[in-house]
Amino acid sequence: MRRGIRKQLTGWISVLPALAVQVIFIYVPLGWAIFISFYKWNMIRPMRWVGLANYTRLFESSEFWNSLWITGVYILGTVIPSIVLGLLLAMLLNVEWLKGRGLYRTLFYIPVITSMAAAAVIWSWLFETQYGLINFFLSWFGITDIAWLEDPKYALTALIIVGVWKRIGYNMVLFLAGLQTIPRAYYEAAEIDGATPWGKFRNITLPLLSPTTLFVLIMQFIASFRVFVSVSVLTRGGPAKSTQVITYYLYENAFKYLKFGYASAVAVVMFGLMILFTLLQFRFTRKRVHYS
Amino acid sequence: MNRKPRLPVRIVVYLLVLLVAVLINLPFFWMLVTSFKTEDEVFKLPPSFLPTIFDMRNYVGAFDLIPLGRYVVNTLIVALSVTGLQLVFNSFAAYGLARVKFKGANIVFMILIGTLMVPPEVTMVPLYVIIKNFGMIDSYRALIIPFMSSAFGIFLLRQFFLGIPKELEEAAIIDGAGHMKIFFQIILPLSKPALYTMALYTFLAHWNEYMWPLIVINSAEKQMIQVGISQFVSGWETQWTLRMAASTVAVIPIIVFFFFVQKQFVEGISISGLKE
Repeated sequence: MRRGIRKQLTGWISVLPALAVQVIFIYVPLGWAIFISFYKWNMIRPMRWVGLANYTRLFESSEFWNSLWITGVYILGTVIPSIVLGLLLAMLLNVEWLKGRGLYRTLFYIPVITSMAAAAVIWSWLFETQYGLINFFLSWFGITDIAWLEDPKYALTALIIVGVWKRIGYNMVLFLAGLQTIPRAYYEAAEIDGATPWGKFRNITLPLLSPTTLFVLIMQFIASFRVFVSVSVLTRGGPAKSTQVITYYLYENAFKYLKFGYASAVAVVMFGLMILFTLLQFRFTRKRVHYS
Repeated sequence: MNRKPRLPVRIVVYLLVLLVAVLINLPFFWMLVTSFKTEDEVFKLPPSFLPTIFDMRNYVGAFDLIPLGRYVVNTLIVALSVTGLQLVFNSFAAYGLARVKFKGANIVFMILIGTLMVPPEVTMVPLYVIIKNFGMIDSYRALIIPFMSSAFGIFLLRQFFLGIPKELEEAAIIDGAGHMKIFFQIILPLSKPALYTMALYTFLAHWNEYMWPLIVINSAEKQMIQVGISQFVSGWETQWTLRMAASTVAVIPIIVFFFFVQKQFVEGISISGLKE
């Protein structure tokens, strides 16, 4: 009996510090975000209960809808290329006779481990209108003077390019791990039956890789939804709000205009949308994903 | 796939891989090249792909213009503190969850792992308020204390601890060892690879952190490196050589370091798939 109590005590003491940190700094703020979203508050004057006013204002605000639209375009623009390119690179590095695959994997992975802030500073130089490297390359094709970061037509595209570049390596490593679980024998059997490379990809690789693909899709979706650093460093939501993604809208309302209640309502809606879309992705892909 | 194709095909594949490696790393190459150029050389068309002289003055200039040395030291203090604290608290928690069969362990595990679903952007406003009420705004504590443990680290270590054979522990119990002894003398020494991987991830994540220091740190001399190099003093807007030198300081040590530890890293992702 005494040993039983001691065991309980040892267990609880060992998890207590970590549990306390996670509860105080994640769960309490999460609950509090919902609470604050029903108040008007700027941290200077006392909190004032406003009911659902923050939410109604939010859904009537064209700026909020704009930020959702921008986020949606950014997600669509990054998710598909970063997954397709990640898969292509993974297949390239999965070629058995290729020497130095470890080195290439490391080289492809470098953008993932570097900070987005520093990467964005570097890209701001690459995107420079007159002397930037990108416009220099484009000038070979007769395209000149695209103001990547100052023109509302191009700013979001610039952010999408940076976002895709930063994530390809990560998706590649996940796909590589997935590809390595597919037994070689399947391909050998298909070759004996005279399958084409495309046929093997279509009928063996894609179906057997589908759990990995779903995982990559969801991770990439969440990462794209959360885009903030590149926006903050490269465009600050501009020009003309053309890159004001939801996280940046939230940040500005909270820390520039000190609208804590309103910003919390944005946070709650963002969290809700993220969970909703993640669940939808599970639902819609369920029939297509094969778990062996 | 297992047969070697003809030579021309192989050459094409090698060239393709090489091209991709070059393209992906071109921004870093361009950063380095620019950081060594003179101010005049930068504004030359067509651009030169290698600097004519290796001019170190940009580095001196960058360290003069912004407190880059302070940023590096500040960020090292914070990232190393967080890593050290996480090693302690995450391994404690992981041991309790994996090795002590106490009532409620599963619920505690779910609560801890559940935080992975909460993006930091959602909690940043209330977290800011909490930090302010604790009087920790503009201090390193604001960057360290909320991150003393992490769901990712606990998960990684717990999985590893679960895989250590029970027999080792049972033998120690017969010899009269308590949990403290088992934890420090059996589990921890056997878990060095997992602890190492966790420490690498944690250090990197906090070296690269941008959003949270942007919100809670106000004084320039207390700022973290990522915010420091991206918020420029006015008038420095067009000095690309200095900006690239500052970015090099923030990026190159990490890339060099990564080449030595990449195995732990990439394997860590394949196992957990949780962290970038």
